[in-house]
Order: sequence, then structure tokens, then C-alpha cells
Amino acid sequence: MTQTGVVVGALVRRALNEILRVPGAAIPGVLAPTIFMIGLSAVFGEAAQLRGFEADSFREFIVPVGMLQGAAFTGAATGVNLARDIEQGWFDRLLVCPAPRVALLLGLIGSAALRALLPMTFLLLVAFAMGVDWPGVDTVLLGAVLVMALAATIASYAIVVALRFRTQAAAPLMQVAGFVAVLFTTAYAPKALMADWLETVATINPVTLVLEGVRQGFVGDVTWADTWPALVAVSGLVTVFGLLAMRGMRRVGV
Amino acid sequence: MGAAIETVGLERAFKGGVKAVDGIDVAVAPGEVYGFLGPNGAGKTTTVRMLVTLLRPTGGHARVAGFDVAEHPSEVRRRIGVALQEAALDLLMTGRELIGLQATLHGIPRADVAARGEELIRRVGLEQAQDRRVGTYSGGMRRRLDLAMALIHEPQVLFLDEPTTGLDPVSRLTLWDEVRRLRDEGTTVFLTTQYLEEADQLADRVGIISGGRIVADGTPAQLKAGVGSPHLDITLSDAGAAGRAREVLGRFGAHLPPPAGVHLSLEAPAGAAAIAPVVRALDEAGLAVAGLDLVEPTLDDVFVQHTGRHLEGAGQAGEDAGAPAAAVGGAA
Amino acid sequence: MTRATLALAQRALRLNLRRPQFLAPMLVFPSLLLAINTGGLERTTQLPGFPEVNGFLDFQLAAAMVQALLLGGVTSGIATALEIEGGFFDRLVASPIPRGAIVVGRLLAAGVLGALVVTWFLTVGLVFGATIEGGVGGVLVVYAIGVLAGVGFGAIGVLLALRARNASTVQGIFPIVFVILFLSSAFFPADLLHAPADWVAAYNPLSYIADGIRAPIIDGISATPVLRGVAAAAGVVVVFGGLSIVALRGRLGAG
Repeated sequence: MTQTGVVVGALVRRALNEILRVPGAAIPGVLAPTIFMIGLSAVFGEAAQLRGFEADSFREFIVPVGMLQGAAFTGAATGVNLARDIEQGWFDRLLVCPAPRVALLLGLIGSAALRALLPMTFLLLVAFAMGVDWPGVDTVLLGAVLVMALAATIASYAIVVALRFRTQAAAPLMQVAGFVAVLFTTAYAPKALMADWLETVATINPVTLVLEGVRQGFVGDVTWADTWPALVAVSGLVTVFGLLAMRGMRRVGV
Repeated sequence: MGAAIETVGLERAFKGGVKAVDGIDVAVAPGEVYGFLGPNGAGKTTTVRMLVTLLRPTGGHARVAGFDVAEHPSEVRRRIGVALQEAALDLLMTGRELIGLQATLHGIPRADVAARGEELIRRVGLEQAQDRRVGTYSGGMRRRLDLAMALIHEPQVLFLDEPTTGLDPVSRLTLWDEVRRLRDEGTTVFLTTQYLEEADQLADRVGIISGGRIVADGTPAQLKAGVGSPHLDITLSDAGAAGRAREVLGRFGAHLPPPAGVHLSLEAPAGAAAIAPVVRALDEAGLAVAGLDLVEPTLDDVFVQHTGRHLEGAGQAGEDAGAPAAAVGGAA
Repeated sequence: MTRATLALAQRALRLNLRRPQFLAPMLVFPSLLLAINTGGLERTTQLPGFPEVNGFLDFQLAAAMVQALLLGGVTSGIATALEIEGGFFDRLVASPIPRGAIVVGRLLAAGVLGALVVTWFLTVGLVFGATIEGGVGGVLVVYAIGVLAGVGFGAIGVLLALRARNASTVQGIFPIVFVILFLSSAFFPADLLHAPADWVAAYNPLSYIADGIRAPIIDGISATPVLRGVAAAAGVVVVFGGLSIVALRGRLGAG
């Protein structure tokens, strides 16, 4: 178990190393959620005037969306990087070493979870600078946990795609899932103001619960009633996609 | 002790029924260098990928370092070192960092990682470059680092898949020296190559693969002896002396097809040892020699005999290493 | 010149159609955003100051088209950069075709892609209940501005490729596409925008292109927005098409 931990740590360090060595590659992923937040609130800000809108400002309402988008981008990028490693033969090198497959998987997923904190931190700093109220430590900590868990989920999905197609050309397939998962929720408006079809989709989509869990402190107070569904939803997602990714890993080679 | 590598009827079929590997039987003794020789597409890489647990066999069995590759893959991985066709390296890391990572992945205790890494870096001659990013290394340097990473955990069996393809002659010879050193240290080496000279120079035994099957297996000397013996090609200075020369040389061995003008050929089963007596005999008979070549059968001749085709790359590595010009001895 | 241009345009189109990983995002992401924007914010049509529309979808179609056209431009840029990296570009330059054909051919293909984009979103819109107030004439106007904008954005992509010379730099431009689009009146009426979009939109040609495409859909054909749209799109074509030719000459001159 300790050896597994050592291996996981080494692989996480390698993944983080990429950010330090080629910061230019990481910048778009870190900046994009913030750009979306600024852009969306500039474009649709007036929507907060609608009766029934839950927040004081549209920006406050969509900051949590940006946090989850950062998780989605990071998760997808993990899959794209794995596809690149497969194409270049590096992944074969990992497969022939005696480290158990679960360690390889945890290394990839762990690095995604940690990396997701970068866009989240940048987004929050910019949001606060632009006047969004400080939501409290509990909100930020809960947000960090949910962001990391969602990043791990999307990374697991992207890993399944990467192992299946073994090419970076599958990148859009990895990216679109996170895009859909995060935005087909109560991303732009509360359910009461949505079109019926989107309200139905948002109700079915477990990521809605995750989003509401992150959002609660920004538009009100953090309560257990809004927290436990988010935790249950994200735990379920991580488990399901984590198991799928593990199955994909086990099928590679012998 | 059992074989280091053993396969029985090893097979790999892909979708559509295409068999890249069609029933291979190989036995490699511990400490042996086994050369797996064949053209592109013969099934060499597929065979290696099965033996190193990257690909599941669809038929037959394989045991590496005493463990079945399908049933105990993790035990196999603990005991093998692998350097595949593409030097699979992280270009953003330094040589030192990569070796350290590989050591960690192989469970080498943290306290020993640095020392072991230093030792291997020194062994492959990368001390000056170890703190530079691998992206700045030449092809030869990357291949050396690849080899160092494959050796970090002192594997019992080392797999080298076309290790010198694409390398310049100097880098190739450096790698050959390293393989010889490994053999002297007792490591079993399974080496695939398309260069017959590489197999000839390095391998204790050679298996020739074509179309997914082994068509010949044995020591280089045995394989070459199977297609004919060496012969001497003699060029006389005076065409008129041919008949006299034939008489003089009659006692050394059979003459090959009748002399053409100044040229004659003489079987020389003793190989190089035959040269001096022949020259002396001609000299004593007053017959001047303009040229003399000892021509040995090559593994390409073996390949031609078994498959009817030449091996690609025949003569490429050979030219670099200065082998004699190929001659035809007993082609089918 | 014509024959070479057409041949290159045909080739560019064929390659685009063979690379689903480039083509699909161009239509899929804007379509998804269209669905989300429309589904989430349909009530905003009730805000004071919002123009008369049959539905938020009618308003959003233009934004989706402009977004897809911009992505098409990025795709053209990436394709050109890949050609430069791969050496095929040098082969074209070394052949006896007029140099300008290399750029113009690519732009023609971008125009055809633009027509594809317009067709897709008009179809999607009609299927989900939008109405084109301007009728057949309105549709033609939408195609005209859309194709022109497609060519113009293609020129931006080609210019980037000729200057950057590698595909990953051009791909890095992708987030900037969204920034520029957000700072326009593509997604929401200009009068209802917040800072910084409110003041940037007035100077952003994308605002006029989007408004020009939108007017025939929500209002019928009216001279001002349509003419502004055509002018803005044509301006992009002229400016960036010209700069591309200059960049091509510069690159060839540098050897």
C-alpha cells in the first residue's frame, strides 16, 4: 500500500511538473473559466433583474459555474495528455513497470484533482476583485472538495475515452462531456425561470446537485440540507466513472 | 534452472483473423543473447509486446523469468527491463528525473534511488547531460537513457526492440558494446533487429522470423553452415595460369564452378585459416595473385534459403561494420 | 489562377470534411451553447428594453452562427498551420501556380464552410420553432453576410497561421475567440449589456455582423442593420485578406 502511495505521488509530481515546465500550455485552461465568467456576466448580467432570480448579481450566480468548468477542463486535459502519452509510447513504459494499475490510475486522477484548484483559485481571486462578496471559508472549502471530486470524475471519463481511442484526435469527445455536464444544469438561471425541457434535464443531471452545493454560500448560507445531496451526487459520480476507468486500465495489455 | 524465456505455440491473431504471430516456439537460456531477426512486418514487435505483457496472446503459452505472462504478468514485470522501438521518454523531464521516476515505479527504496541513478547515468555516459531536459538530447542519447531506464532495477531479462534503428554508426557500436557487457554480467537479452550484422555480431543464438513464424533457429555459425561453407575467391594476374593454379590448389579442397578467365573459387571449410597455405602454395608455384577474398555465408543467405527473399537491411549495418561483400553460396 | 484556386479550395474542403475532430466542435459546441442559452435565459425577453421577438431562440440564432463561423476561421488557421508544419505548403509554393491562389483557395473553402454553418443553424432554428420574419429574402441576406463573415474569419485564421507557423499557437487562440465574441452584442441586445461589453460592443465588428444576421430573422429586412452587417463582414475580408496576402509575400520573401 505504501509502495502504491509512493508511485501515485511520483506520477502526480510528474503531471504537475508539466505545468511548471510549459506554463504556456496550462494557461488557456486556467484562464478560460475566468474569461467565461467575465464574459457571461457582461453579456447576461441584466438577467439578474428577472423576478425570481436567486442572487444579487448574475456574476455571483455564475462564479460556481466557472469553478466547475475549471474542473471539467482539467479533467478533459488529463485524458488528452494520456492520449498523447499513449501515442508517444510513454504509457507503455508505465504499463511494463510492476506498479499496480490502480496506482497508475490514482496518479492520473489525483493530479487532475489537484490541478483543478488552479483555475478555481484564479477565478475566485478575480471574482472577489470584481466585487463578488466573500462567501465564507466553509463555502470555499466545500467548493474545493466538490471541484476536486468533479475533476476526478471527468478525468476518469476522459481516461476511458483515451484508452479506447488511443489518439489525441478524440479530445473533443472528452471536452464535450464536461461541457454538457456542467452547463445543462441550473448554470444560468434557477429552475423556476428555465424552459421546461432544460428544467427536466437539470433535474436528472446529478451535476446540478454539485453546482447547487458549491453555489449555496455565494447566494445565501451553507446548510447541511444543500450540502449532503452534493456530496452524495459527486461520490456516486466519482465511484461510477472511477470504476469504469479502472476497468479500462485493466483491459490494456495483460 | 529453467529457460529465461520460453514460448510454446505462441500466437497473436488480430481482427479479421490476421495472425501477426503464428505459432512460435522459442527457448532462451539464462545469460544468453538471443537475436530475433526478420524484416519489417514479420511479427518481431508483436512477439516482444506479448512477452513483456503489453499484449495478450491469443494462443499458446509464454513464460518469462519463470512466470507465465498471461497468468502472472505482474511477476514478469518485476523481473524484466524493456526498451521498445520508440524511446518512450518524457521530453520535459531531465535525464536524472526520469531515471529517478523509473526507480520509484520499480519500487527501489528511496534511499537507494539517487545512487542507483548516478551509477546508471555514468554507465551509459550521460553525466554531462543528466540535468538537461530530454527534449534537448540527440537520438543516440535518448536511446542510451532508454537503456539506462530499462536497467534501473537490474532485470533478469532485458528486451530490446530494434535498439539501433535510426542510430548513427558510432552510437550503434556503443550500444553493441553495452549489450556485450550485459551478457558478460549474466543478463539474458532478447534483441529484435532487422540488421543481420547486428544479430551476427551480438547474438549467441538467432531466430529468424518471417510471416509470423520462425523459419530458422540456431547459433549464427550453425545457421550459416547450413547454407554452405566459406570459399575463397581468387583473382590471378595471368589468365593463362588458371589451369596450373587449379592443379596447385587441388589438394586444398573442391573447386567451385569452372574458372572464368582470371577468376577461380575454392571451397574453404577452414575459413580464414585456409588463406595462408593457399597463398603460400600459389607463391611457391610462381603464380601471381591480383586479389583474394574470403567469402562467408551470411544470415541473409540463410534467410534467402528459407524464404526465397532477401532480408531488408542486409548490407546496411554490414557496410558500417565492414563485413566482406556478400557472395552466393548454395542459394536455393 | 482560377483553376488553381478552385483546385486548392476543393482540396481544403475535402480535408476539412475528413477531419471530424475539427469540424464537429465547430457545429457541436455552438449548438450546445444555443440550447443552454435559450433554455436557461428565455425569460430575459421580458426584460424592459428587450426587442420584440417570437422567442429567445430567434434572437440567439445569430450568435450561434457567428460563434460557429469564428470557430471555422480557427479551423482554417489550424489546417493551414499544419500544412506549413508538414511541408505541404512549401510544395504548393514551389509549384507553378500563382502564389495568391494558395490563400484565396483556402478562403473560398472557408466561405463554403460558412454556408454550411448558416444552413445548419437555420435548419435547427426552424425545427425548434424559430421564424424568419424576412422570409426567403431574409434567408438570402443571412447567407450573404454569413458567407462573407466566414471568408473574413478564415482570413484571420490564415493570417495567424502564416505568422505563427505552428498549429498549437493557432489553437491557443481559441479562448480569445470567445472573449471577442462576448464583448459584442451577438448574444444580448447592446442596450442591456454590462461592463465591459457595453462600451466595447459599439466598436466590435462582430456586433454589426451579428446584428446584420439577426435583423432578417427577428425583424424582416431593414436597411441599416443589414448594410452595417455587410460592411463589417466585407471590412474583415478586405483587411485580413489583405494582411494575409502581405504575410504570404513576407514569408516567401524571407525564403
